[in-house]
Amino acid sequence: MIDELVTPEVGTPTRRRKVPWGFVVAGVAIAAAIGYLVIANTSATADYYMTISQLRTCHACDSRAVRVAGIVEQGSVVRDDQTQVIRFSITEGTDVLPITYAGVVPDIFRPGITVVVEGQLGTRGVFQARTLLAKCPSKFQNATPAPAQP
Amino acid sequence: MRFSDLGAIALLLALVFAVYGIVASVLGARLGHAGLVQSGRRSVLLVSLFLVTAAVALIASFVRHDFGVAYVAEHSSLSMPWYYTTAAFYGGQEGSLLYWALMLSLFAALAVGLSRRAPADLMPYVVATLLAIEGFFLVLLVFVASPFTRSRLVPADGSGLNPLLMDTGMLVHPPMLLMGYMSFSLPFAFAMAAMLTGRLDAAWLRSIRRWMLASWTIQTLGLLLGAWWAYHVLGWGGYWGWDPVENCALLPWLVATAYLHSAMVQERRGALKVWNLGLVIAAFALSIFGTFEVRSGLINSVHSFAYSAIGPWFFAFLAVILVVAVGLFVYRLPRLRPEQEFESVVSREGSFLLNNLVLVGIAFATFWGTIFPLISATFGHQTMTVDAPFYDRVNGPLFALLILLMGIGPLLAWRRASWAGVWRNCRWPALAAAVVAIVLPLLGMRAWWAVIGFAVCTFAAGTIVYEVWRGVRVRHGHGEAYPVALGHLVGRHRQRYGGYLVHLGLAALAVGVIGSQFFQLERDANLTHGQHIAIGPYAITYVATSDVARGDVETVTAHLRISDGGRTVEDIYPGRSIYANFENQPTSDISITTHGLRDLYVFLADWNGADQVTLRVFLNPLVPLIWLGGLVMLLGGIICWWPERRRVVASPLLESRVARMEVAV
Repeated sequence: MIDELVTPEVGTPTRRRKVPWGFVVAGVAIAAAIGYLVIANTSATADYYMTISQLRTCHACDSRAVRVAGIVEQGSVVRDDQTQVIRFSITEGTDVLPITYAGVVPDIFRPGITVVVEGQLGTRGVFQARTLLAKCPSKFQNATPAPAQP
Repeated sequence: MRFSDLGAIALLLALVFAVYGIVASVLGARLGHAGLVQSGRRSVLLVSLFLVTAAVALIASFVRHDFGVAYVAEHSSLSMPWYYTTAAFYGGQEGSLLYWALMLSLFAALAVGLSRRAPADLMPYVVATLLAIEGFFLVLLVFVASPFTRSRLVPADGSGLNPLLMDTGMLVHPPMLLMGYMSFSLPFAFAMAAMLTGRLDAAWLRSIRRWMLASWTIQTLGLLLGAWWAYHVLGWGGYWGWDPVENCALLPWLVATAYLHSAMVQERRGALKVWNLGLVIAAFALSIFGTFEVRSGLINSVHSFAYSAIGPWFFAFLAVILVVAVGLFVYRLPRLRPEQEFESVVSREGSFLLNNLVLVGIAFATFWGTIFPLISATFGHQTMTVDAPFYDRVNGPLFALLILLMGIGPLLAWRRASWAGVWRNCRWPALAAAVVAIVLPLLGMRAWWAVIGFAVCTFAAGTIVYEVWRGVRVRHGHGEAYPVALGHLVGRHRQRYGGYLVHLGLAALAVGVIGSQFFQLERDANLTHGQHIAIGPYAITYVATSDVARGDVETVTAHLRISDGGRTVEDIYPGRSIYANFENQPTSDISITTHGLRDLYVFLADWNGADQVTLRVFLNPLVPLIWLGGLVMLLGGIICWWPERRRVVASPLLESRVARMEVAV
């Protein structure tokens, strides 16, 4: 790339303000690369982050991964130690979403905490979570903001 | 009088003197009244004295278990060991604000104490800016979020500190990061002073550079400690998750790194003044954004801090900073004309300019990803988030480009470099990189991005080693032994060789990141007695489980045996600790053993009596290089920053030879 840059002749006295073409070309190339990387990867990797009711009414959500936040419902947690599958429900307001998840459960997972699950809504309204994140309270206070409503 | 009353009074007095100091400094400078200026400087010392008093009062309240203070009751308990009780001082929101303000006042006092070397007419405005920032935090501490608020009901015992925070890494990493955020106030104060006085010549640059280097080093340490803590405590096998909290700490670091390079262009060539001033302002604004983002609930993070009333205050403060700083900046634009034009991209300044673009690009991408939930909720129809894959795909290639530039840049001469000279200096490193790029795939490595990354890191590290070798050889040719030559070379040109050391550390760190990113192995298993799990060349066998209760902590420990091809390597004991006040939140004692350049990371996920354990095991290649590289970067930062003694030239001829060699490259 740099070979093709126009460089002025050495030794010629510069009277007028030169346009530094080399810098313009290299700068624009880098800026364009950054812009392309950001835009292309935003659309390729962004996940919906929605409430349970939004998920229920979402039409485009069958084919893509979404993230849903909610509070783990009391008494809903069922563990299967053999297969390491865990079933539970999360709630937000009056909405309830049943979830299945296979894998290691975070330390602080228990009924009553806020979790964020990522995955897909499967058949019969059960959400298949690929990842399970528990909100880690750096201060032990029971006040977690909900996902922003659009 | 109770300690909490003493603390509350000290905070109020600190606020009063901060306001007085601003008025005295500005009036003194405007009216040319030396006494007032001096009085403003002294008020900085008073403010720090009062803040130290407040901090001591809060620590005393903790140590004396004064649960009448709401903050103490919420963050400590009778059974906590003294060091955690003391550290609980900055474990919550109010305390961390006090800590921020305390550190700022100490740094401000230091700046005033060291100001004999700084330009005298800037100092009143530096003092005023620092006290204005301090004043903001003091207003919060006095009126909005006081750590000394007393509750009417005094509980018998406190609720204790969150067990996740009870870890030595936690004792040091948040204060380090907060100190890093805070430290960007100093370069900003010098920049504001330069803009306010209109003295935008070279004098302010030196002061800002040194403080920025200090900030950079502190922030580097904070980031490293944060990564270390995440790796050793959280149990997910990684050290960096591109979480908003981490991103916010990285942003000012990236901008500061860009500044440290572009400031050299200004020093040498009198160009990029506008850009540099912009970077200083951006670094400070991002550090305030970081302080505020993590505790405002603005963006959802896995770390959910208390959702509190101070969010709008920080937002208003940030807005004021931006309006004032950018307004002044625009007003002073006519005085920021470059003294010289750039000549060629193929030059030292050209490479610095490109590296700045890449660094700011990485910062932009990271910022964009962090606030994308807000952007998409505001302008789209749906809140959307991006996580690790976005950052890996965007920042990965950009970091590779950055490291490539890092290899080439130091080889280029100022103004204009000849291609022949460049080639002469980088043919051996380029050859080494080519060998890596050919040999790794032949050995079966098929992850092409990793191959490119390793080759680029080899090239960058190679150019530095080759460059240092050439310098040492010249000195050796004049009769110095090799180690002596190396010592003199680094000692006489601290900034240059300190910078090389930082580059070398970054190359090592990058190799570690690539290794663990592309070649991490992960296995989950349920084991009963005698069963084993295989990972890479290792087998991990379950031996037994023990359960010990001591005080208010119950510890479950699994005994496992690592073997390599039938030969026992080591016994490991990953476990869980359950704290009395937090039964539902066991913390992990992760076993991390380093075998050569590989970490075997074993996490006890669950247990069932003494018969069965559930393990999550990672094999993390090259991770030790991350910590080693980080330490080297820190060392380089300190060498760059270390004040130079007045130079005693032992051999003028030799010094000029070395200097000429450096110009000639």
